[in-house]
Amino acid sequence: MDNRELGLWQTTVIGALGLLVFVGSWEALVRLGVIDPYFLPAPSDILRRMLQMATGPEAVLAHDIKMSATRVLTGFALSALVGVPLGLAMGMSHWVRAALNPVVSIIRPLPALSWIPLSMLWLGIDEQQKYAIVFMGSFASVLVYTTDATVRVDEILIIAARNLGASRLQTIRHVMLPAALPNILSGLKVVLAIAWTCVISAEMVGANSGLGFRIWTAKEWSDTGQVLVGMLSISLTVLILDILFRWIEHILLPWQRGATRS
Amino acid sequence: MTEAVIQAQDVSKIFPTRKGILSALEIFSLDVHKGEVVCIVGASGCGKSTFLNIVAGFIPPTRGRVLLEGKEIQGVEPRCGMIFQNYALFPWMTVLENVAFGPRLKGVSTKRRHEQAHRWIAMVGLEGFENAYPGELSGGMQQRVALSRVLANEPDVLLCDEPFAALDAMTRQIMQQELLHIVHKSQKTVLFITHSIDEALILSDRLVVMSARPGRVKAIYKNDLPRPRILDMQLTDRFIELKREVWELVQEEVIGSMTAPRLG
Repeated sequence: MDNRELGLWQTTVIGALGLLVFVGSWEALVRLGVIDPYFLPAPSDILRRMLQMATGPEAVLAHDIKMSATRVLTGFALSALVGVPLGLAMGMSHWVRAALNPVVSIIRPLPALSWIPLSMLWLGIDEQQKYAIVFMGSFASVLVYTTDATVRVDEILIIAARNLGASRLQTIRHVMLPAALPNILSGLKVVLAIAWTCVISAEMVGANSGLGFRIWTAKEWSDTGQVLVGMLSISLTVLILDILFRWIEHILLPWQRGATRS
Repeated sequence: MTEAVIQAQDVSKIFPTRKGILSALEIFSLDVHKGEVVCIVGASGCGKSTFLNIVAGFIPPTRGRVLLEGKEIQGVEPRCGMIFQNYALFPWMTVLENVAFGPRLKGVSTKRRHEQAHRWIAMVGLEGFENAYPGELSGGMQQRVALSRVLANEPDVLLCDEPFAALDAMTRQIMQQELLHIVHKSQKTVLFITHSIDEALILSDRLVVMSARPGRVKAIYKNDLPRPRILDMQLTDRFIELKREVWELVQEEVIGSMTAPRLG
């Protein structure tokens, strides 16, 4: 069987075709009355609803996206700010690792949702509570990914640096950090997606803005179109953030591009 | 005779393992003189890498001591520059940054350390590759970068841990000649570990045959083969005779180690 890798152009065309078939048959099934639009509106209706929500007198979409994204990014930044240094320390020291591992093991399996009651009790339903949910839902994962990235740094690079005269501190700064960076970044990329599930859950339970809130209220009003617009907006926002993240990686890791530095 | 740069005195190394005690080196003594190239050959697992790691100060000996210019080595010793089998280059640094790494740690200014690095890069024939990343280079080129990185750090001794073992046969021959060229030009002392008798005969002034584990000095040859030791020399009777002699000693040890229990 012919199974060579496809070029960028081919991948794009085939991908677009796949999407077209998917959306097309969905549209057709609704129009032909096979699917009741009350349960699943046609793509064209969703698009119309989306335009309405983006521009019309409501114009809530941009605000919702902004609110959710701010919550995600703030909570995510906080957990990276605390989790990355702590993870590095855990990765480099058996002592720190032994001391913190049990606590991390207890926190890590807890879904973000399970933090909602406590966080509401402590912080009400204002913004800090959303940040706290995102933080608690993503922090342990940041810690685990960073620890893992640090432990996996090739020992020979550390030995080589020491042999070239690097002190312990210089070895950490010039070798451990840059060597662990690629794996830390790919860990953070996964955590960013986790952070989104946290914020949507938090917004569904107690909020008056954001995509999670929008989806949940739409369900109360049986506005299936709006539910789907909300879901689609999550997909698109995460997609855009992912592209941004890739671009940051590209800047920070020039040596993984396979090109010479100009 | 010139002074000894490295003096290993009755060095023993014991590793505690789960199954008991592993004796890697036993009363191993060796002097390496200034400007000399000493090759150590031995079967795999005979403790030759352990010895090199002790000289570099990565691990302390259990008993005995190693002196570098009369002073005992305690802790990592940057004056003994190490060349590793798998190059150990920093993949996120360009060739230039890799070579300038040692001087950078010492606080040499960017301008000066880059000038120095350019010189060493030129010496190993890699001009034009200053801004390439190690991942873009072939194995032979990477090992040249590693060599110039160590040389830029101005060590007294080069410790080579089977540096050409991962290269193809032709690249290896070229690298051997280049190493000799650079060593003679820069007057470095070299301690070179290999399991290739050919390589040891081509490179060495003296050749040490190690016993199987625990590693001891089984024999020391003064290598009087004429230089340069290009291909023609490798076909002379004297070369073949020496090779056979060394091979027989190594073979005894290999067979011995295959029948002996692994732990003692």
